[in-house]
Amino acid sequence: MSIKSGYFHKQLHVDLTTGTVERRDLPEDLIERYIGGRGFGAKLVWENLKANDFKIDPLGPGNLLVIAPGPLTGCYVPSSGKNSFISISPATGLYGDSSIGGGFGVELRQSGHDCLSITGAAPELSILFIDDGDVSILPMPFLKGKTCLEAEGLIEKKLGTHALHVATIGVAGENRVRFACVNSDWSRNAGRTGIGAIMGSKNLKAIAVRGTKDLPVFDMNGLAEETRKAIKYMTDHKYFRLWQQQGLMNVIEYANTKGILPTYNFKATTFAAHDKINGETMLEGGYKIGDSACFMCPMCCGNICLVKNGKYAGTVTEGPEYESCAMLGSNLGIERFDAVLAGNRLCDELGIDTISTGSIIGAVIEGYEKGIISLSDLDGKGITWNDDDAILELMGRIARREGIGDILADGSLAIIKQWPEMQKVLLQVKGLEQSAYDSRVGTSMGLAYATSDIGAHHTRAWTIAKEIEEGAAWSAEDKVNLVMYHQAVRPLFDMLGVCRLPWIELGLSERHYEKFYGYVTGNQMTLEELLKLSDDVYNLTRRMNMRLGATRKEDSLPYKVTNAPVLTGPNAGKTLNKQEFERMLSLYYEKRGWDQNGAPPPEVEASF
Amino acid sequence: MSRKLAVIPEECSGCKMCELVCAIKHFGVNNPKKSAIRVLITYPHPVVRMPVVCSQCKKAPCEDVCPVDAISRRDGVVRLDTGLCISCFHCVESCPFGAIYAHDECEYPIKCDLCGGDPECVKHCPKGALRMVPEYALGESKRLNNVLSYSQMKEIEFVEKGEVQTLRYAEIGKEQS
Repeated sequence: MSIKSGYFHKQLHVDLTTGTVERRDLPEDLIERYIGGRGFGAKLVWENLKANDFKIDPLGPGNLLVIAPGPLTGCYVPSSGKNSFISISPATGLYGDSSIGGGFGVELRQSGHDCLSITGAAPELSILFIDDGDVSILPMPFLKGKTCLEAEGLIEKKLGTHALHVATIGVAGENRVRFACVNSDWSRNAGRTGIGAIMGSKNLKAIAVRGTKDLPVFDMNGLAEETRKAIKYMTDHKYFRLWQQQGLMNVIEYANTKGILPTYNFKATTFAAHDKINGETMLEGGYKIGDSACFMCPMCCGNICLVKNGKYAGTVTEGPEYESCAMLGSNLGIERFDAVLAGNRLCDELGIDTISTGSIIGAVIEGYEKGIISLSDLDGKGITWNDDDAILELMGRIARREGIGDILADGSLAIIKQWPEMQKVLLQVKGLEQSAYDSRVGTSMGLAYATSDIGAHHTRAWTIAKEIEEGAAWSAEDKVNLVMYHQAVRPLFDMLGVCRLPWIELGLSERHYEKFYGYVTGNQMTLEELLKLSDDVYNLTRRMNMRLGATRKEDSLPYKVTNAPVLTGPNAGKTLNKQEFERMLSLYYEKRGWDQNGAPPPEVEASF
Repeated sequence: MSRKLAVIPEECSGCKMCELVCAIKHFGVNNPKKSAIRVLITYPHPVVRMPVVCSQCKKAPCEDVCPVDAISRRDGVVRLDTGLCISCFHCVESCPFGAIYAHDECEYPIKCDLCGGDPECVKHCPKGALRMVPEYALGESKRLNNVLSYSQMKEIEFVEKGEVQTLRYAEIGKEQS
């Protein structure tokens, strides 16, 4: 079988140093093997690494940033508004990617490009404007220091149209904060791995896109029929209404009940004030004023919230979702929902990742409590749990690199370098701060974090619900199998350019996706064949990380996970057994066909 | 009985499924920019998500402005006859709601025809933000909400089948003291 439709066969390549724009042909075999999204990104970043003899400064002009939707992005497929940003991460120095929902990726595809790659650095702060076939680099120095939200409005005004999508960085990205994010559609974020800092290092404040082209679809009728079946399944699901009402905010209660909710920098995993920051509070407290959905998504998990009174009155934010609410709420001991909303809004404005920000500030509070960080380190401004004023103020100092903010802005690895004892306090893998699911409840989630190619993020594998369901009887082999399956299927969604939530949250069968892919591209592949392609990309990013210096040692767990027992709740007293973890890691390597150092066989590299 | 396409912006999530199903139905292509309905989003001030679509006006400005009489209203639908249309796009500019659209690749203005009475957008909106309602029912939910928010309402609690219920009522003839 071969690709008959679904692609424009075009890669837009921009060199900001020389100001040149090139429309390159995407070869057939690359499209077939790497599908799109993260697949294209990994391949193009790999080529760039090879061309630079594997010596790349993530914040140097030579680092290639790839922005890639997938063949299903923007198509009549449920929740098809996804788009990936791929590069070498300034947080980890290794492969990094982050995806974003909304409509940016749809617009990018409609401009007639399958992916966009950016290299070099502009001489002054600029934006890239893709207006269908017309591509221009426009200097806009007046955007300096503007928040993401301000910048998006100013760009629309300057370009004279509302009918476009903008992805922008905030002051944190300009200042190369290593966990700066890219913000689009006002408050959707590609949050992780510091993509915003890469744009900042390239003097690229924003990318604006307007696209009007038909998206190529091989069999529109077949696709429509399949999608209607899938949407019918989703809307009939017993939890569908709950999703529309609360979005991911319903997870706060689940996480608290099951004892996996990050609380006081993961010292505890249940939060006494959980009911002050949960989905019920959002609804009953009158905070939620509207729903927000990504393109083609019936689930509309975005919550638009407004604080109507008190010191944060007037704060509007899209969010929070679970991760943001947990990391900026319970993880910092925040006991009031309006402060969580204010923190979420501030992160959106500054352009910093809510997960890393919540994790690092939590660690600072604990480090200060333990005497690792002194009051003078903190520029004389003490900080403690539930101290929303000090916490919000510190976010600003991080983004602007003021005082201690200048060190914190360089992320976990720099913090550990400055205060080695912080290694025991920070929760990170490979330099990326851990997301909001505690992994001491069981080894599979620990293995998921440790072996994720971008660091401690749940995007690659999220096995914790199954772990809790199965309990102690769940065998090591089954755990490894599930982690590996997740690491194939979840990135596959990022390659196809669609959201994984219909699958993971509502149980929409993955089988639909082989049909969606077939109807769009005309290339009939089975799910197993697609998963194999996703696994190939996993091998590629692994190989890339090894070439950049990662070894088995980097597939390790945060100190706390193996050494600090959980203080409260159903998992009180638990740590993750290090020996058991190492045994599982060995088994994982073996099953993947990697050696005990975690390296895929050399012939794998040759095939890329 | 004349039925109208009613838009309930408070319910809209901005997913744009209406745009895509409209374009697929009328043009057979996967392109939300070729639809006769568009969701406009303003954020953060003010927060509005609102599908903009033809109201099928009884006294339609687009009909008045058309120089070749290509637009006429029949059976409750303001129709554009592409056989007569000269693509001057005056109708697009004349619509007070901006509910007629243009696309580079389309020869004629893109205008809602209510899909023959059973609009795709209404069928597929996952939030129920688009509805076909009888003309006499327009504004009904606003009327009802207005009545329910009547400020001098009183409440009593009572027990029905073992459960405590609340009944609200307006006491007639007595001024609120």
